[in-house]
Amino acid sequence: MRILVIEDETKVGCFIKRALEEESYAVDLCEDGAKGLQMALNTDYDVLIVDLMLPSLPGLEILKGVRQARIQTPILILTAQSQVDQRVKGLDAGADDYLTKPFAIDELLARIRALLRRGSTESPGVLQIDDLALNPATREVTRGGQRIDLTSKEYALLEYLMRHTGRVLTRPMISEHVWNQDFDTFTNVIDVYVNYLRNKIDRGRSKKLIHTIRGSGYMLKVD
Amino acid sequence: MPLRVRLTLWYGTALALILIIFSTILYVITARSLRDAVDQSLEETAAAAVRSLEERGFLPLIDETELMSQFPELARIDKFFQIFSPSGTITIRSPNVKQHEMPLSRQALEVAYSGRTIFESAKYPKEPPLRLISVPIIYRGNLLYIVQVGTTMDSVEQTLNRLLLVLLVSMPIALAVSLAGGWFMAGRALRPVDAITLAARRIAGGDLTQRLTVPASADEIGRLTNTFNDMIDRLETSFRQIRQFSSDASHELRTPLTVMKGETELALRRPRETDDYKVVLESNLEEIDRMTRIVDELLFLSRADMGEVKMEHLPVPLDMLIEDVHRQASLLGQERDIKVVLRATASAVVVGDELRLRELFLNLLDNAVKYSRPGGTVDIALTIEQNHARVSVTDRGIGIAQEDQSLIFDRFYRTDDARAHTKKGTGLGLSICAWIVESHRGHLEVQSKVGEGSTFTAMLPLAPASA
Repeated sequence: MRILVIEDETKVGCFIKRALEEESYAVDLCEDGAKGLQMALNTDYDVLIVDLMLPSLPGLEILKGVRQARIQTPILILTAQSQVDQRVKGLDAGADDYLTKPFAIDELLARIRALLRRGSTESPGVLQIDDLALNPATREVTRGGQRIDLTSKEYALLEYLMRHTGRVLTRPMISEHVWNQDFDTFTNVIDVYVNYLRNKIDRGRSKKLIHTIRGSGYMLKVD
Repeated sequence: MPLRVRLTLWYGTALALILIIFSTILYVITARSLRDAVDQSLEETAAAAVRSLEERGFLPLIDETELMSQFPELARIDKFFQIFSPSGTITIRSPNVKQHEMPLSRQALEVAYSGRTIFESAKYPKEPPLRLISVPIIYRGNLLYIVQVGTTMDSVEQTLNRLLLVLLVSMPIALAVSLAGGWFMAGRALRPVDAITLAARRIAGGDLTQRLTVPASADEIGRLTNTFNDMIDRLETSFRQIRQFSSDASHELRTPLTVMKGETELALRRPRETDDYKVVLESNLEEIDRMTRIVDELLFLSRADMGEVKMEHLPVPLDMLIEDVHRQASLLGQERDIKVVLRATASAVVVGDELRLRELFLNLLDNAVKYSRPGGTVDIALTIEQNHARVSVTDRGIGIAQEDQSLIFDRFYRTDDARAHTKKGTGLGLSICAWIVESHRGHLEVQSKVGEGSTFTAMLPLAPASA
């Protein structure tokens, strides 16, 4: 899950980035409004976190720009302005959620999970395919009731695959959503990580869940 | 009592007074002139009678027939005639005095002896009032006769009664009609006032965007409406400023709080290395310093607004102060490889508070150093100009856009460039600078071009002695 944070207070941006990265999200940070809008338009993010007071382009304009481009990515507004009319303006401009500073990190993370759930018909919280279950809140992964320990990147990769069960995910798509913009897509890191996941999830089980689609990418499905 | 009722009542009372005075005068004058006319006619008749008697050599008249032939004017039924002897007994009388005796009054007799004419009014029961004239006829000092001519006041009284009736009936009608008219006109005149009241009530309800429609006429109501609208304009502006200020203040205070809360929570989410905790604590300390500075400056500004900031009023030798501040700023500049140059100085004394002035110049120099590019130069110059000491601080840094120049002295106002440039600014420094200059009865100006740099100029009035 790849997230763009547009926040001009360096320290705030940094700790949000760190907190999200510790939760295995891929995070891009941008301190400028206009540049942030460009990034949001050019890259397929899973969530946008936008501050309202920004240099060069206010947050509300970023919201409008993104929605005008028919991008439906969930947007969370983060701002020090707590008045009701400000919140209403933000939500009306196309934001999906609103968090006022100062905020609790746990709440920010919970709201991001909620935004990621949105639009999918799965039961809230736990993602499930066959006997494989992933709980984004606790980051617990089990198969057949057996707990599986994953590294942060493995977890991020699995979560992305599980959120798009039954769809072919190309390597560029995976790199875009699981790694941040500094990632070099020409390495075979993705294949390496998919192999790690296979070892932990499919090895020794009769039912394989991770499938290689030759020439295009990977897919998570029940045969 | 509503103004409309009061206006109508005042108007009605004034009108009633005028009507009463007018009617009274009309009645009195009419009554007098009618009575005067009666008296005059009596006098003329009596004079004619006296003349005929004179022509006859004052011989006594024999009887009524002779009398009537002598005085044909007595045939008119509205007058009657009596002639009395000096003793007051009736000698002869016109035939229309038949009903009863009408003796000469004692007063008339006395006046007759003194040789003067007298008018009298008389009233007998069940008859119209009478008006009488008694003229003495004196020959060689002896009273011969008293000629009395009388007439009824019937028509006069009737005329006066009719007049009184007309007045008594028409006065209330006129009053009622004009009261109704007054009520209507007062309502009309006061309708714009009602409109203003309604609008004011809506505005008082919190809707400061409301305005009154200004009537086309430039009358009192038009002026009132304009004044009212001006007042609401100013109210709206100051409300907006206050709202802006408190939202800015809360934003500025929330940011360090967000950093402290976020970093601390993040650090506590899992066990960390000691160095990680140290980084968080150091960062928190920075934020605490930033909040302290904001709170201090806010407190200073609000005390300044309330007039509670104590200011010294002592002569301050500005040249020495500037040299001192220059030395201090040079050290500040060294850290960022920026030269601070004292371009000009002059002997100048201003009356004021040395500590505040030092704060002012240090603030301006600190800003200039912050916004200069490394290796750049900051100039400070003190010159004398028309009873003013002119202190200018010039940098060759990023400059300030034209549209921002009028706003940079506003509290918490920071240009986007300034925000990006100095994360530690509070946005209050220039507000304080401007306040210090203004409390020394001077003014602070800025000249700037984007990309070329800015010059802040403080003009401070010189102390009288050195002026």
